Amino acid sequence: MLDYLLNGLGLGAIFAFIALGYTMVYGIIKLINFAHGEFFMVGGFLGFFALRDLGIERLPLPAPLPILLAYFCALTVAALGSGLLAVVTERIAYRPVRRAGRIAALITAVCVSLILQNLAIKAWGADPKAYPDPKVWVDVDDLPARAESNLYARRVATTSTGERVESEERVVVEGEAIDRLRLKSEGRGEVYRKVTIPRETTRGFVILALVLWTPVLWFLVMRTRMGKAMRAVSEDLDAARLMGIPIDRVVAYTFFLGAFVAGVGGVAYCVTYGKIEPFTGFVPGLKAFIAAVIGGIGSIPGALVGGLLLGIAESVVPYMLRDWAGWRAAFAWKDAIAFALLILFLLVRPTGLFGRPLRVKV
Amino acid sequence: MSGELLWWLNLLVGVGIFTLLAVSLNLINGFAGMFHLGHHGFWAMGAYAAAWLTRECAGSLPGPLLYVATLGFGMAVAAAGGLAVGIPCLRLRGDYLAIATLGFAEIVRIAIQNLPQETLGGSLGMPVARVLMAVGPDTMVAFRGLTLLIATAACSLVILLIRNYIRSAQGRRLLAVAQDETAASLLGIDPTRPKVVAFVLGASVAGLAGALFAHFQGFITPLDFQFMEMVKMFLIVVLGGMGSLSGCVVGAFLVIATEQLLNRAPEAIAEWWQVEFPLLLALMIVFRPQGIFGRREIGDLFRRKARA
Repeated sequence: MLDYLLNGLGLGAIFAFIALGYTMVYGIIKLINFAHGEFFMVGGFLGFFALRDLGIERLPLPAPLPILLAYFCALTVAALGSGLLAVVTERIAYRPVRRAGRIAALITAVCVSLILQNLAIKAWGADPKAYPDPKVWVDVDDLPARAESNLYARRVATTSTGERVESEERVVVEGEAIDRLRLKSEGRGEVYRKVTIPRETTRGFVILALVLWTPVLWFLVMRTRMGKAMRAVSEDLDAARLMGIPIDRVVAYTFFLGAFVAGVGGVAYCVTYGKIEPFTGFVPGLKAFIAAVIGGIGSIPGALVGGLLLGIAESVVPYMLRDWAGWRAAFAWKDAIAFALLILFLLVRPTGLFGRPLRVKV
Repeated sequence: MSGELLWWLNLLVGVGIFTLLAVSLNLINGFAGMFHLGHHGFWAMGAYAAAWLTRECAGSLPGPLLYVATLGFGMAVAAAGGLAVGIPCLRLRGDYLAIATLGFAEIVRIAIQNLPQETLGGSLGMPVARVLMAVGPDTMVAFRGLTLLIATAACSLVILLIRNYIRSAQGRRLLAVAQDETAASLLGIDPTRPKVVAFVLGASVAGLAGALFAHFQGFITPLDFQFMEMVKMFLIVVLGGMGSLSGCVVGAFLVIATEQLLNRAPEAIAEWWQVEFPLLLALMIVFRPQGIFGRREIGDLFRRKARA
């Protein structure tokens, strides 16, 4: 039970990361940014490439540091990359329709989401890819006589068309005697072993990241000049413009911030589930939107609480239905349960937990 | 030659089915002003209800009669779904209603996928026996032609029905509520009733489209009713004009034809159609956000000309 609760908390933290972007953008320009899930997916892909190709783990540093550094770099690349993508998208697609009404903006968002998804398929292929395991590089001379785990090496080959293709090769199987001379003569003086990160560690890091990020975001929104401008724009866009607030810059900044956080969430999600594909963004995107609605869309603490609640509900409610009510298929229905809970919740509290009730002027 | 003819018939039946979906969605989103994003759920309910009844009653009823019965059954099931969702959810507004209806459609899809395989075929899909007429290589053209006739008749009937409903006293009340709910209720109009009626009517028409689709395809899977299809319907409505019935017909033709033509265009274009299709629509939205017709109908254009 506790395990399910913690799992739900980890998942909920990821939902919260995505929901933050939804809620910030919605709070400012009243747009459901359907492409937000795609920013998340692109973040996941950038993290994937950073982990696979940057080779940070090879840095000569004491044991856990290279891996930590590699993940830190992957997160940074993902966050900055998806943040930039969001700014570009906003400039090209959303700014021209900002005055055209909400439905037009919504349709544009749906179109952008489809375009990004299909561009990702074109660029990176539609099949799921396994997320890279962290590697520990070792010098062959430092190895014990008998391998304690599988050892791998990178192989670079040139195809007939002159393309450079890198692939991974298992050079020593666990328990095998290590032939140092053979490895060195084949140009494999350095090999690596793979580390599987336990689920608990990932979970812990995701929750820790959320705990660290929340005050940062709170500070950015509540205590900086730009944050003040954001709150002003969300209160009344036209009045803010008349007060000389540069609307375009504020909106671009909001998009950047939201997608930046979503990029972090993207890497966290892919590490948790161990794979990535161009459709990765859709379902978490939808769920994060639900989380934002549960919390009261437009409210930052609402997004956090909504995300955590949704994650926990999605993990604990099927567990209770399975183990206490004897419904064996409960986990296959977990998405349906999440949506049903959402509908029930909206009926009781139509504006979410922290949402301001709609004032109707007559 | 017959291949070409079959392609066009396929396209036109697709236009017919999407016209039905768009018209009913327009009744809910355009005329009644509710932000409903779960129409593909009603569509799937109609299709699966028709497929289920076809399987249960195959052989015990003469084919064409069963065909008509399944259309009615699909409508009834979707209408019941509409009532079940409509009564609680129509208290919600705007984006909250959108997400609740979208959630409902997701529940429908997950339920179809996860029910035991012998009930609705699960994620593998479900065959629909050909009950209208025997379908083979020789009779394919006749089958698609006949379906096209039925779809056209259904579209005409539904458009006429919705047009008359909008012009009836209750339809006027619906428009008033959509425009300003507070003002309408101050005038003594109960806002819930016309909204629920419009929602159930729209759901049942989507169910009809689903039943037609199931019989036309002969095989349905949950993948046929994804959110992407909802996006397509919504685009048709926006393209044609929110609150214009003839706009739906034109929009359905444009969207489905563009999709199909891009799909079989020269390779350099066809390879990218999934990118080009949303791009075209986004451009359309940027340059004409009110759609082709706005709130007008085809008839209005001629009338204005006559006056001038």
